[in-house]
Amino acid sequence: MTVLGYVANGLVFSSIIVLGSIGLSLVYSIADFANFAHGDTMTVGAYAALVTFGAVGGLGGAVLGLPYGFFLALLVGIAAGAVVAVATERLIYEPLSADSIGLLITSIGVAFVYRAVIQIGFGADFTRFEIGALRPIEWLIPYGIRVTRHDVAIVASAVVLVVGLHVLLQYTDLGRKMRAMADNPTLARVSGIRTRRIRYWTWVIGAGLAAAGGVFLGLFNQLSPRMGFNLLLVIFAAVILGGIGSVYGAMLGGFLIGMINQLTPLLSRLGEVLPLVPDGFGIPIGIEYANAIAFVIMVAVLLARPTGIAGEEAV
Amino acid sequence: MSLVSDPVAWASELTRPETWVLASSVAFAVALFGALVVGALGPTYFLFLVGLAGMYALLSFGLNAQWGFTGLINFSVAAFFGVGAYGAALLTADASPVAGGFSPLVGLVVGLLVALVLALLIGIPTLRLRADYLAIASLGLAEVVRLVVLNERWLTNGSAGLRGIPSFFAGWPVLSSFPETMPGLRITVVPGSPVVLETPFWEAALNVVVIVAFTLGTYAVLRRVHQSPWGRVLRTIRSDEDLARALGKHTYAFKMQSFVLGSLIMALAGVFYTHLNLYVGPGDLDPITTFYVWVAAILGGSGSNRGALFGGIVVVTIREGTRFLNDLAIPVDPAPLRLLLIGVLILVVMRYRPQGILPPQRELIWPAARSSTEPATSPETGVRTRRAPEPTADADERDVDTAAGVSEGGTTDRTGGERDE
Repeated sequence: MTVLGYVANGLVFSSIIVLGSIGLSLVYSIADFANFAHGDTMTVGAYAALVTFGAVGGLGGAVLGLPYGFFLALLVGIAAGAVVAVATERLIYEPLSADSIGLLITSIGVAFVYRAVIQIGFGADFTRFEIGALRPIEWLIPYGIRVTRHDVAIVASAVVLVVGLHVLLQYTDLGRKMRAMADNPTLARVSGIRTRRIRYWTWVIGAGLAAAGGVFLGLFNQLSPRMGFNLLLVIFAAVILGGIGSVYGAMLGGFLIGMINQLTPLLSRLGEVLPLVPDGFGIPIGIEYANAIAFVIMVAVLLARPTGIAGEEAV
Repeated sequence: MSLVSDPVAWASELTRPETWVLASSVAFAVALFGALVVGALGPTYFLFLVGLAGMYALLSFGLNAQWGFTGLINFSVAAFFGVGAYGAALLTADASPVAGGFSPLVGLVVGLLVALVLALLIGIPTLRLRADYLAIASLGLAEVVRLVVLNERWLTNGSAGLRGIPSFFAGWPVLSSFPETMPGLRITVVPGSPVVLETPFWEAALNVVVIVAFTLGTYAVLRRVHQSPWGRVLRTIRSDEDLARALGKHTYAFKMQSFVLGSLIMALAGVFYTHLNLYVGPGDLDPITTFYVWVAAILGGSGSNRGALFGGIVVVTIREGTRFLNDLAIPVDPAPLRLLLIGVLILVVMRYRPQGILPPQRELIWPAARSSTEPATSPETGVRTRRAPEPTADADERDVDTAAGVSEGGTTDRTGGERDE
């Protein structure tokens, strides 16, 4: 595969990571804890979509190789993720009198419950959406890019969601309130913002985007009860790289981590890829360490610049 | 006030949760013994379970030294457990790709050394981090360790794991052949289902001896350490790191020491696991092990070693007990059910009893200061000599407070208020 091919794959994978990392970052800044159940929220969304798609079927036409029914399933998945997250907030997190560490530990319990319920319902095996696999797009193959129309749909949908979030945050009342609350919850409350309601909306948006990411992950790879948990640390890496609490940082961090993840195979062939480097040169790190690289980057960022790329300097 | 000399007074001093835990433990033990006698539970498997419970208790002790004492959120328990197990296995197993065939004692030392190096490697960068960052970073680094163990086939045999591991006493004078030389026993309590004690039983019995020795030794060390001036500094760091710093303590060094101590204990559990299970694979480094140990620690009560022991037993009951549910005609796959139980347990504990079932109370108080019959004396070390010439009754009470030290609120209360009447 050529460099362009890897970049194209990286773009698709990045889209999924970006969707996951935005929600994690939002919850981190507004609910003020590291939510270890975020990965499993993605799984919830994916399985809700799987069930819906199985029930409604294709519904006639198709866009980018994806039947209409799939988009309906996507919406249901997003709604399911949001509902589950808000219910969890109401039933579990809200009555809790715990600091952010207590909430973090609780969220691990929440993650286990989500995953266990899904595994009891669907078994531990891998499944797929009942959508036939597509051949790579013909006219891109000469460039060494092997992406299907499904991949294009993933990137396009992610862009739509991200732009929608940007508009929401910058130009609506809710967005302004959310930004105010992320900045200073007490001040926001004093100014008359109903912080509890904003927290619910944060969960809706964060979990909804995560669920969308989960549906796309299921389309990109496969579905399994562990799919979200396995991705959780990569998403954490993206959030930390971008700067915790910054939505735009999370987008950038997600993009970079997704790219690095998919470009790992190039490390051993650096000589062929880069100019001015001798041909045989390469860093002997295989694709099996793609996640490990992300984790090491995460720790390095935490040490060198805990505020991340987009974060402000520590106060 | 000991159990032997004055059982009534000892029992009347128990707090409500202590009574509850004691009662349910006794009931559980009686139930297990009953199952053993009637032959429903194989004695060898029972001893395996005891070994496993001891192993989880040891792991929770290790986590306690980090989280319970110092407040370090270490999510890399599985990594330390794993390198301890792999360190021991690689040196002792016949099929080891690198060394192999050494005495298990060498394996023990190497397992601990590898864990020491790993603790420094993980601790040096991450212990400076904020608590929640430490959690994420340590989980990430534990995954890196798991990926290395999984993929470096030349070193670890990859996903196939390591087999051919001898028992812990291989090469010892008498004990190495002890299981074979012991006669096979056949005890018939209930007609038709005799209890058979043969070589595997004696092997398992030796394992129990090892884990009991490890656990008791660690418990004694941690108890002593917890009450020592060093332990008091750790507890101060846990409740307020800035305060510890303001008192002139080099908190980073203390955190590192407690991190290394805890990691070594976890590796010790790993070494034991190697000789208990006789097989080690990359699956043993799965993060779920970390969370099992966390459940044991927070359920028992952070900072409480008795609680860790209790939590270890509960976790093993969940882990192994779910296997039997299918026998009871409950058609649920045990793996997700286990996960569900663990998850619900975390939620319930965090909601209703975040301090755990047996939070540290008397454990924190210097033993001499605890009994109301003897006059309280200061601990020999760590307390500055007082200027006052003769300790009076009032001073004694103050002494108790000093010994209780910078513990969380509530402990001094109990000693000062109720006991001194």
